[in-house]
Amino acid sequence: MAAVLMLSNLSVQRGGTTLLSDLCCSCNAGEVVVILGPNGAGKSSLLLALAGLIPATGLIELNAAPLHSYSRHELSRHVAWQGELPPTEFGLTVQQRLELAAGEQSANIENVATCMDVKPLLHRPLGELSSGERQRVELAALMLRDVPLWLLDEPTAHLDLKHQIHCIHMLKEQRTRGRAIVMVLHDLQQALAIADALILIDGKGNAEYGAAARLSDSQTLSQLFDASVITQGDVLVPDYGGQS
Amino acid sequence: MTLRWFALGCGIIACMLIGLGAGEQWINPFAAHDPMSGTILWELRLPRLLTAFAVGGLLALAGAWFQVLLGNPLAEPYVLGVAGSASAGAVTGLMFMPESAWAMSAGAFAGAWIGIVTVMFFSHLGSSRMLLAGVVLAAFWSAVLALLLALLPEQGLYRAFSWMMGDLSHSDIPVYVLLAAWGVALGCGLLLTRALDMLLLGERHAEALGINVKQLRQRLLLLASAVTAVAVTAAGTIGFVGLVIPHLMRLLFGSLHRAVLPASAIGGGLLLVLADTAARTIVAPAELPVGILTAIIGVPVFLFLLLRRN
Repeated sequence: MAAVLMLSNLSVQRGGTTLLSDLCCSCNAGEVVVILGPNGAGKSSLLLALAGLIPATGLIELNAAPLHSYSRHELSRHVAWQGELPPTEFGLTVQQRLELAAGEQSANIENVATCMDVKPLLHRPLGELSSGERQRVELAALMLRDVPLWLLDEPTAHLDLKHQIHCIHMLKEQRTRGRAIVMVLHDLQQALAIADALILIDGKGNAEYGAAARLSDSQTLSQLFDASVITQGDVLVPDYGGQS
Repeated sequence: MTLRWFALGCGIIACMLIGLGAGEQWINPFAAHDPMSGTILWELRLPRLLTAFAVGGLLALAGAWFQVLLGNPLAEPYVLGVAGSASAGAVTGLMFMPESAWAMSAGAFAGAWIGIVTVMFFSHLGSSRMLLAGVVLAAFWSAVLALLLALLPEQGLYRAFSWMMGDLSHSDIPVYVLLAAWGVALGCGLLLTRALDMLLLGERHAEALGINVKQLRQRLLLLASAVTAVAVTAAGTIGFVGLVIPHLMRLLFGSLHRAVLPASAIGGGLLLVLADTAARTIVAPAELPVGILTAIIGVPVFLFLLLRRN
């Protein structure tokens, strides 16, 4: 498999603080890399750096060419970024939001709207929707971006259980189609259900990359989150305490 | 949607005809055969109507751009202090050359550009900080203006206040220049519609979709400020048009700029034509400041549409 994304000695700083340093990793076509870490560790900042939206030191290579060699427009043809929900002040409708993401692929809008369960919402303004519905609209907008690399910041945030499951299935399907995906997730079970590799950021400037199978043990994850993660059967779960 | 465009087109034709006919004395534009009526219609009223149309359109365009640029629906053409600096420039011109017909306009234009250049220093900041800087600059220019008004000889005060409340009766910019500015501004805006639409999603989303946001913001700031400078120089400070017309047009035509910009350019013109006609007719032969009328006409229409949409 060809490496879509390759990071060498990457360091990300924000506001004078080093969030992570010397990260080396790669993400191949058809591979999912999940970024895990506590709040404020720099997960979203790492995604922003990979999307070229904030500066970083070290080398980021996209399809074997340095990220900085791409113009903004060229980059948008290789990378899709899904982050915070867009503002709603100016009354954009769901249809208009999807048209902006689709560009020349507007014929697919109906399909992705059906897939993400937002077809009945197409003519409603974004401001009238719940956070979960807006998140589904953002996922539909993402599906319209047929680019090699997706960078996703908590794609299952705000979603109910049905749509969380649907989202993970959709991402798995995208992986089988050869999409490279790097994403931040907070739900451990979701992360371990889909990740081929993990990037663990501890919030003290350290970042570790490796195969999901190698890094997903209770001790490593307990240390990372400074919270108890236990094994139940074959599954790693947060220790919420036993049933009373 | 087509019906709404048709209504807007009919509205502007109707307002133009009413504006031509109405005044101290009603003159039927289709039956003005004597030379005096012809002179009043075509040499006095028509240039003034076209000036009002162009200035209203320019203000509404600038308002639409500032709202997207600053990511704030309450933004309007004067939000970054350009009106304050233009007013200070106009009063300075009046102070030093009270007899000159051009002094106020030249002063306003110079003042507007001083304001624009000052604001450009803050264009690299994010939307909210730039807005904050603009509000602070506006307060500064207001203070300068108050100081200049305190120093202005009494005989100049009426002219200064009349200009500051919007005055289409003494525009020093030829009407063809204003119409050309209207056309150029709308044309430039239409070239940027897709990028402006992307900016509605927020700067990061726009950038991720391939827009060079930094460059776009600088272009937009320059364009919106230049348009404001032309409008202020032509007619003084006329509030409300730039704030409300873009919202009104979004309610009627949706949020995408390929519709919002032309609709605002026409709708702003329509409102100012209507307001100016009322301003020079209600208490004829005297005139009311047109800025008062834009608010009196526009606010109820806007609130009605807002309630109806809800």
